[in-house]
Amino acid sequence: MAVGQLTRARLVRVNGVLLAMLAVSVVAAAAIGPVRIDWRRAFDLSLASPDAVILFRTRIPRVLMAAIVGGALATAGAALQALLRNPLADPHLLGVSSGAALAGVCALVLRPVLLGHTLVVPAAAFAGALASMWIVVGLSRVDRRLESYTLLLVGVIYNAFAGALLMFINSVVDFYQAHNVLFWLMGSLGTTDYTVVGALALYTLVGLVMLLARARDLDCLSLGDDRAAELGVRVERARVVTFVAASLLVGAVVSVSGMIGFVGLVIPHLVRLRTGSDHRLLLPASYLAGAIFLVWADTAARTALGGTEMPVGVVTALCGAPFFVYLLRRERRRAGM
Amino acid sequence: MLVAIAALAALPARADEASPSPRPTVPARIVSLAPSVTETLFALGAGPRVVAVSTFCDYPPEVRSLPKIGSFVAPSVEAIIAQRPDVVIGAPSPGNHEAALALERVGIAVVAPDPEHLAAMPDVIRTIAAAAGVPDEGERLVARIEREMAAVRARVAGLPRRRVLMAVGQDPLVGVGDTSFIGELLAEAGATNVAPPGVPWPRITLEYVVARDPEVIIDTSMGTEQQSGASGFWQRLPSLAAVRDGRVYAFRSDRILRPGPRLPAGFEDLARLVHPEAWR
Repeated sequence: MAVGQLTRARLVRVNGVLLAMLAVSVVAAAAIGPVRIDWRRAFDLSLASPDAVILFRTRIPRVLMAAIVGGALATAGAALQALLRNPLADPHLLGVSSGAALAGVCALVLRPVLLGHTLVVPAAAFAGALASMWIVVGLSRVDRRLESYTLLLVGVIYNAFAGALLMFINSVVDFYQAHNVLFWLMGSLGTTDYTVVGALALYTLVGLVMLLARARDLDCLSLGDDRAAELGVRVERARVVTFVAASLLVGAVVSVSGMIGFVGLVIPHLVRLRTGSDHRLLLPASYLAGAIFLVWADTAARTALGGTEMPVGVVTALCGAPFFVYLLRRERRRAGM
Repeated sequence: MLVAIAALAALPARADEASPSPRPTVPARIVSLAPSVTETLFALGAGPRVVAVSTFCDYPPEVRSLPKIGSFVAPSVEAIIAQRPDVVIGAPSPGNHEAALALERVGIAVVAPDPEHLAAMPDVIRTIAAAAGVPDEGERLVARIEREMAAVRARVAGLPRRRVLMAVGQDPLVGVGDTSFIGELLAEAGATNVAPPGVPWPRITLEYVVARDPEVIIDTSMGTEQQSGASGFWQRLPSLAAVRDGRVYAFRSDRILRPGPRLPAGFEDLARLVHPEAWR
C-alpha cells in the first residue's frame, strides 16, 4: 500500500505528464485519418471547405468522444477492482455493459410507447448497469465472501443470459426495429454533434468526482470489508456510491458507443504498476491513460482500412484479450494453484 | 436489413427436381419463406395456392392473414411441415440453410434461387414460376419487369452521373456498397456510388464521405430515429454538395429491397431521387 507515500507533488507530476500525453495524442489523432487534409484550408471556420468540415465536424468530436469513453471505462474498471478486491473485474466481463445494453435496447424498442424522449435510452442504460452490478455481485457472494473466480463465472453466465434476452428481443421485433437494435448495439464513437460530446463529458465527470471523493474509502476497501470498517469506512454506503458512480460511467458510455471491452481491465492494471494503488492517484491517472489508449485504438479502427472502418471494440479486444489471459495465469501462479 | 439481405449461402435452385416431367406439375400448396418470393407468387397469379408465409411477408395485404412459418432468417421446420406443402420456395440466407436441408431430408421439395445480383433476377422469377407450375406467367412477368426497368433506364440515359451516398445507418455510418443488389440498382439509376468499393455494406468513415462530396444523399435510417435529429446529422456537414443543394432525402422502401414485381417501381423512386430533372 502506497497510502502514506503520495505527495501532492507526485500527484501533480504524474497527472500532469499524462495530461500532456493526452493533449499530444488528441492533436496527433486529429491530424491522422484516411483522408489527407489541406491544413491551410482546414481552419476556414465558415466550414465551407471539406477540409474544415473533416477536421472540426468529424475528427475532433470523434477524438474527444474516444477520450471521454476510454477515460470513463478505465475509471469504472479501477473502482470496481478496488471494491471487489479483484484484479480481473471489468465492466465488460462482469456483464455490467451487457446489462446496460439490454436495458437500453428495451427502451429503444419501447420508445414509441414511452413517448420517445431522447433521454429515455441513456437513463435505461444507466439503470441496467446498476441493476446488473447488484445482481452479479449479489449472486457471487457466498457466505459474505466474494471469490475472484465465482465473480468471473457469474459474470460469464450473466453475459450469456443478457445476450440471450437481446437475441430474443431481436427475434420478436419487426424488421426495421431489428435493424435499429443491431445498429444501436454496434455503436460508434463517430459523432458530429458537440452537444453529445458535452453531455457525455458531463455525465462521466459526475461519476469521476463521485469516485474521487471516495478514493480513501476505496483504498481501505481493498484491504477487506472488516479492515475497512475498523478504519472507519461506512462500508455499505461506500459500496453503494461506487456502484452508482461506475454505473453512471458505464451506462453513459454504452448508450453512445455500444460495448467496448477490456479498456476497464487493461488500463488500471498498467497504471497501477507505475503509480501503486492509492486511488487518489490511480483514479485520475486511469482516466487519463484510458483516454489516451482509446484515442489511439480508435485512430487505428478508423484509419487502418481506408474508407471503411472497424468497430473500435475489435481493436481493444485484440489488445486486451491476450493481456487478460496473461493476468489470469499470473494470478493463478501467485495463488499457488 | 443487413441480416435479411446478406444472403450468403448458395443453395442450389432445385426447380428441375421439383418438376421432373416436361409438363409442369401444378403444386396445390405452396409455402413461401421470403417477402420477395411471396410478392412474386401473387404477381404470377399463384397467390390462392400460397398457404403460409414468413413473418416478414406483408405484401400484398392479403398475406397478412395467412399462417406464418417463422421469420425469413429463422423459419420453423415443424411449422412448414405442418402446412403439408407440395413445394417450399425461398431465398437463400445463412439462417434458413439448415431448415432447407431438413425439409429436403423429409422429402419436401425446396426451391431457393439466389437474387443477390440484379442480373440474376429474370432467372430467379423463372425459377419461382416453374416451381409454382406457371412458367408462361413467369415469362410474362419477366418481360413486364424488364420493360418497366428499361423505361426508367431510358429516362436517365445520357444524363451526367451524380455522386450518391445511400446510407442505411448513421451511427455507425453504414452505406450501400457497389457490390450489393441495391448498389447495382443505384448504378443503373445513373449514380456514382461514393461508398468505398468492393464491399456490399461498408461501415464508412465519415470523413471519407466528406472528401468524396456526394451530390445526393439517400438516407434509409431517417424516420426510424426522430426526424429532426436524423437530418441534423447531415446539416452539420455544410460543405457537402447534397446539403448545400437540399438533396438529402429520407427514403425507406421495401420495394428496392425485394427483387420481385414491385422492383421497377422502387427503381423509379431511386432514379427520381438521383435525377429528378428527368421526370420534369
